[in-house]
Amino acid sequence: MASKPDLTPKLIVRSLLIGAMVIALVALPAAIDPYTLRIATGALMWAGLACAWNIVGGYAGYISFGHSAFFGIGAYTTAILMQSDVGASFFVTLLPAIILSMAVAVAIGGPTMRLRGAYFAIATWAFAEMLLQLVTVLDFTGGTSGLSLPAYLNEFFFYYTMLIASAASFIGVWVLIERSRFGFRIKALRDDEPAAESLGIRTNLVKVQSFALSAAITALFGSIYAYWTTYIDPYSVMGPEITDQMVVMVLLGGLGTVWGPALGGVLLWITNRYIWSTFGDTVIYLPILGVIIALVVLFLPNGLISLIMGRQRGKELISRILGKL
Amino acid sequence: MSSAYHKAESSEYPPLAIESVSKHFGGITAVDDVSLSADVSEVVGVIGPNGSGKSTLFSLAAGGQKPDAGKIRLQGIDVTGWPTWKIARTGISRTFQIPSLFLNMSVRDNLLAAAVEGDWKRARERMESTLEMLEISHVIDNLTSELSGGQQKLVEFGRVCVRDPKVILLDEVTAGVHPNIRQIILDAIQQLRKTGITFLVIEHDMEMVKEICDRLVVMDQGKVVAEGDFETIASDSNVQQAYLGRT
Repeated sequence: MASKPDLTPKLIVRSLLIGAMVIALVALPAAIDPYTLRIATGALMWAGLACAWNIVGGYAGYISFGHSAFFGIGAYTTAILMQSDVGASFFVTLLPAIILSMAVAVAIGGPTMRLRGAYFAIATWAFAEMLLQLVTVLDFTGGTSGLSLPAYLNEFFFYYTMLIASAASFIGVWVLIERSRFGFRIKALRDDEPAAESLGIRTNLVKVQSFALSAAITALFGSIYAYWTTYIDPYSVMGPEITDQMVVMVLLGGLGTVWGPALGGVLLWITNRYIWSTFGDTVIYLPILGVIIALVVLFLPNGLISLIMGRQRGKELISRILGKL
Repeated sequence: MSSAYHKAESSEYPPLAIESVSKHFGGITAVDDVSLSADVSEVVGVIGPNGSGKSTLFSLAAGGQKPDAGKIRLQGIDVTGWPTWKIARTGISRTFQIPSLFLNMSVRDNLLAAAVEGDWKRARERMESTLEMLEISHVIDNLTSELSGGQQKLVEFGRVCVRDPKVILLDEVTAGVHPNIRQIILDAIQQLRKTGITFLVIEHDMEMVKEICDRLVVMDQGKVVAEGDFETIASDSNVQQAYLGRT
């Protein structure tokens, strides 16, 4: 379909804003201290993770509570392959991590994405719990003791790696979902699956494809995270709060939007770090997450992004997706 | 698409043939040994009282439900039991009794979504000509959830047109709409049938049925009780019994 966007003033302003944002993100490490840089690196990671979860939760309309499993698969694949007996370099571990997570997503998504609403959510949650319990008892995952990775103490490297991964995920999602046939397919099945099928869309296949894509991006960040923190254990990379955060970030920013999840991810992560630095721990963060979910569903169904981008969708999308639970 | 499809497409098979199809839900027989076929460019009306099995018959033809017995053939291809998406790709397209729109998408995107499994290069062109035909170009950027009930019916009808199907099933497409919109739909059906598209139309609006249908099939309690042109059907005692009650 040949369609080139007209060079409207709106498009020019938007392009300039994006350009300014890119320059600011690239130049940021030179302007901030190492502690703030670490927070910024985390913010990029969570923005990317929220973007990944949004593919299946926001665009396909399937609420997954099992994404921590894919984050963990990425983290453990990298950690295991970087152990001294294997000795793979970090970048070599990324591809196996992505492929393994996609294979698992296809194996899990194939049968479970035929389930609807709460059944899918429960199935993915159960799968993540199962995997979490599994890594605590296996020898090669280090059991409850976890695994240490070769230390590479270069915050700039991890900041830029996260930035590239986030940008690649964001651009990939934007191209695939906002600019291609795949995007029409996935959004159509989200809004009305029988109608989408009646138009020739093979919905079960599209759902599994979206789940696999989402899993791959999540695993990529899991891999980078493992190398960044140099130590992982089952709960640090497969704990349920990883998925919880992704869900809340997307709801806060704007479910099924391009920019919303990134915005939600950055804001919530900064809030998390602020609470940690102020109160010394993040226990209070969990009730805050709960309050945010309630407030967003009640008063801002389109997320914070709707305040900036203007377009209102009413409560259709969020009620359609969350109403399935 | 398979070579069998192309072979069948060029042959003399009717675009749609329903052969002795039955469907039961528990102890209820929704469709009972129904046979029906429609020729190229024909508009066949399917009428009958509520609960007579008309919508179920459409679901069986379009793949939403699988028949317990009988065959569904599209262009001669036996598509019985095929999944909906696969049947849709062989050239059948349908609307629903209650419009099934993609409510979080614009009118433009609803129509483009209908073209993703077809000729994507011509999708925009087809979308624009369909909007023009249905006189809804002015709401192209609106979300479909913002439209009136009549406009939603038009968008759903437009969505099936964009797909460039061989057979279109319309389930009460003019129910509850303004006379102007009803006329737009009637004109569009007349225009599209000239291009070779076959229509099966479920309707309660007898004026519309009389105006556009070449032939009527009357259903009652899951069975076909009469078949013929409007005048024949209007004077049929079985039809009068079906509509006015048994004596």
